[in-house]
Amino acid sequence: MLEAKDVTVRYDTATVLDGASLRVEKGELVGLVGPNGAGKTTLLRAIVGLINWDREVLKGTRMEDVVLEGTIEFEGERIDRLSAYEIAKKGLLLCPQMGRPFVEMSVKENLLAGAHLCKDKQEIHESLEKVYQLFPRLRERQKQMAGTLSGGERQMLAVGRSLMRRPKFMLVDEPSSGLAPKIKDELFKRVQEIYQELGVTILLAEQDVGFAFELSQRNYVMSRGHVIAQGTAEELLKDETIRSTYLGM
Amino acid sequence: MIVPILIRTLTRGAVYALLASGMTLLFGVAHIVNLAHTAFFMLASFGVFYFTSTRISQVAFDGPGWPVLPSIIVTIVAVTGLGLLVYRFLLDRVRQHAQVVLLITIALAMVFQEIMDFSFEGHSRRIREPFIQGGVEILGETVSYQRLLVVGVVIAVMIGLWLLLSKTKLGIAIRATANDPEIANLMGISVSRTLLITMGIGTGLAALAGVLTAPLWVFHPHVWMQPLTMVLAIVVLGGLGSIKGSVIGAFIIALVENLVIFLIPQYGYMRMAFALLVMIVVLSVRPGGLFGTIFEEERL
Repeated sequence: MLEAKDVTVRYDTATVLDGASLRVEKGELVGLVGPNGAGKTTLLRAIVGLINWDREVLKGTRMEDVVLEGTIEFEGERIDRLSAYEIAKKGLLLCPQMGRPFVEMSVKENLLAGAHLCKDKQEIHESLEKVYQLFPRLRERQKQMAGTLSGGERQMLAVGRSLMRRPKFMLVDEPSSGLAPKIKDELFKRVQEIYQELGVTILLAEQDVGFAFELSQRNYVMSRGHVIAQGTAEELLKDETIRSTYLGM
Repeated sequence: MIVPILIRTLTRGAVYALLASGMTLLFGVAHIVNLAHTAFFMLASFGVFYFTSTRISQVAFDGPGWPVLPSIIVTIVAVTGLGLLVYRFLLDRVRQHAQVVLLITIALAMVFQEIMDFSFEGHSRRIREPFIQGGVEILGETVSYQRLLVVGVVIAVMIGLWLLLSKTKLGIAIRATANDPEIANLMGISVSRTLLITMGIGTGLAALAGVLTAPLWVFHPHVWMQPLTMVLAIVVLGGLGSIKGSVIGAFIIALVENLVIFLIPQYGYMRMAFALLVMIVVLSVRPGGLFGTIFEEERL
């Protein structure tokens, strides 16, 4: 369903991603783990077209030399030259780190922004109801400005906003980052529900290895811009070098 | 004296509000300070003048002499189209570079000024006949229908703009882009297209202001400079990016100008200086402007 081959990303002279490859089949929940600065977020950004966006934003500045090499295919079609909004149209969506809600808009307006590509009002209404069922707290706060939400609520809103589009594939970037254990558990259950009940394929980038290993069927381990290992949680934990050097366990 | 002050404040404030809301909208969404904004206002005044003129009716200018309504529509469409071309082929390429945007837009305004100077022989112009003849007496003061038309149209447009931004899919896309264009992309919103539409709305509002005031005010090719100073003052006074702030700021500045004109007529030529002084005082107390706030509900 999604295949990234030898993806390299360079900003000027800094190589952030160096020939990273991964493959996710339809119906899988795959973890992407590794320490800070391993390149997880950059790989997700490359997949959803945000490196191309960076190139556009940095055009004409001293940092304009942004390079994306390698190929990325979604459902058999190359997407690495497409704009981020064109990739979103294909049903491939990113829930960014820290949620990144539209802080000056209400919770409901954020969710409606997520449904930008849906034309059918009934479908939008049903999606909204589904999101509110999944995250009752968002219903309670629907008129509240998103900028006033807590970290956990922002993350819920980001996931809910992506669900409004009825995605085929979700890339979730560090959903548990900075959250209290109770909120983390709640988010864990919701991600599981989205995967099992809504049938959305998920690629989950996480620093919290426990969170990722418990949710995912198999995992990729990243370090310094490379994918250095892959396998199930058991397989990876058996390897002493990976466990101690890259997973910090 | 209060009634004429209020009536003129309403008219002038309405026109300022129209101009300032278009400018602040573009700044709020695209972070573009378009110094050519009031040049589009000037072009629209000349546009409607040209289309309605005949050799006999206007100061010996040979226009096609169209009826008022088609002239207004064609002018607004043409000026908005010009604004879209300017955005698509110039501003979109440099919008990340604020200083370049300032230089290009001020240069464009001057180019438009020179072209109008050449085309209309450098004369001041005015549409002699108001779009609607007659007037009505309000509290002993005769108010022309033309002034009432300006106020009515501006109120309707402002309500329309508020509805557009708060209730429609396009409005949500515009505000999402203003908040975080990178994330708006991920929702399937084309940021370039949204910014182009925003430029179209802003230029359309400037064109509407130019058309509505053409029968009220004398205009000439340099007429964009004074409104630009006032509109910049209003936009900053209201809080950059705040439409509500711009509307309120517009009426405050218009009120100060009219108070000077009516109460100390001997210093009437200094009305702008007084208005700008008010802006300086307010900004020294609230540097973010009256509504320079974080949340969009306050912006609208």
